[in-house]
Amino acid sequence: MNSEPKSISEGVGAGEPSATRGPVPVWLMLLVFFLIYGGMLAFDLSGGWFDKDVYAPFTSKVELVDSQPVTSHNPMETGFRVYHKPTCVACHQADGKGTPGQFPSLVKSEWIDEQEPGRIIRIVLNGLTGELKFNGQTFNGTMVPWKDVLNDEEIADVLTFVRQNKEWGNNAPAVAPERVAAVREKIKDKATPFTPDELMKLSPAD
Amino acid sequence: MNYGPLVFLGAFFALAASWFGFVLTPQLQVGRLEQTTNLVSKALYPAGRPGLARQGLEVYRANGCAYCHSQQVGQTGTSFDVRLTEAGTNQTKMVAALVKIGAATSEAAARDLIAKVPVAVRVAVPKAVADADVKALKAAGAQAAVWIVPFGPDLARGWGRRRTVAEDFLFDSAALAGTQRVGPDLADVGSRLPDVNWHLNHLFYPQQAVKGSLMPPSRFLFETRRIERVASPDALVLPADLPARLAPPAGYEVVPRPEAIALVAYLTSLRADAPIFVAPFSAVGAPPADTNAPAAGSVPTNAPPTNAPAK
Repeated sequence: MNSEPKSISEGVGAGEPSATRGPVPVWLMLLVFFLIYGGMLAFDLSGGWFDKDVYAPFTSKVELVDSQPVTSHNPMETGFRVYHKPTCVACHQADGKGTPGQFPSLVKSEWIDEQEPGRIIRIVLNGLTGELKFNGQTFNGTMVPWKDVLNDEEIADVLTFVRQNKEWGNNAPAVAPERVAAVREKIKDKATPFTPDELMKLSPAD
Repeated sequence: MNYGPLVFLGAFFALAASWFGFVLTPQLQVGRLEQTTNLVSKALYPAGRPGLARQGLEVYRANGCAYCHSQQVGQTGTSFDVRLTEAGTNQTKMVAALVKIGAATSEAAARDLIAKVPVAVRVAVPKAVADADVKALKAAGAQAAVWIVPFGPDLARGWGRRRTVAEDFLFDSAALAGTQRVGPDLADVGSRLPDVNWHLNHLFYPQQAVKGSLMPPSRFLFETRRIERVASPDALVLPADLPARLAPPAGYEVVPRPEAIALVAYLTSLRADAPIFVAPFSAVGAPPADTNAPAAGSVPTNAPPTNAPAK
């Protein structure tokens, strides 16, 4: 009936829009509420809480950690990396043959191939100094101690790598980290490198 | 009424919110990103691109390759498979275990599975189920593992082995991730197309290498020059059925400019096939690259045979 444009507020010219303050409609408040709720829910369920490690198919750090492939511990691989850190490789060389007269060879060595690793664990931990005769050669070099540089697992891995290296013709039992820890505890008060004579007096099983 | 302060505050908070969202939050998230470790080889990832590939990145950028090629592979989900790698010695027990976990409907089917080892005996099961199945198989004397397989349309096309993550761009001064896919995604092109000569030919005449390709040729990256005494070892090995209008005249050869060599070095360095913590997957066979250096044998070289003249 009334074709006049409806004015929003009174006292203003018909058809002229004007801004007023009025109550926010309930439906709009509800809509905004549900949008915010939905957004929070989606963020909580799949947002990963802004963790830089959590990418799209994963929804949380827990799920990501749970999805890691099981990698078996292979001392030949980890030991290789310790050997080339560079630690041993600097003197004993990548081929394990050392330097004549200074650094003994680790290839087919009777010191390496001992069934019990007590002596070589001590050598790696505290170092070695003095004249050394083996495989018919004389060596007079100094090996630095590694006990402050390498931990028990690293020493065990690198010794296992050397002792079981088929390319070097070695085949001795693996070295367990617990064994290294036990020897480390026994010689914790010794500050100087071992000498060959000291080592030969010891039982390799000690 | 004076709405000035209100308008100011509105504008301020609108800009501040976008600054927080687009600048500050990403900076806090990945601003201090460091190298991560390859899950298989334990080497650091990424290892950084070789110098030539770094120059190639600039060529890629300057020629706008990123407008038609993305470098981001998506992943819809991760599926857990149960992979039997060794069936063990007790076949009766093994068959019973396979039937029990639902890998085979009958004993005959279980025997078929054992014959095909290594094989995925269960595909796309929940993680808990996969763990339980592996336990059951190991109890029967088998070697089995939960196999993590990312999946999604991009991966089904062979564009990568996992999704692209921020680490992949760690050493790129411009992360050329791209937004459009007029051409295929290049995030992992170095491992699917490691052949340098293929890339050079493709840049010279894309439609020869890929039928129906929309890619414009980049022949300005090559020069046709007269063969002086001996042919250049870098000269392009052109296919025999190259259109006559593109073939160099007799006594001439097509040689890639340094830009083309660098661009191809960059393309072959694009590899995203290392399993890392943020994008894990299980790998079999040769360990995936722990580097985004070019695949072995794909380093551009002056030497024959890869770039040897065709005659």
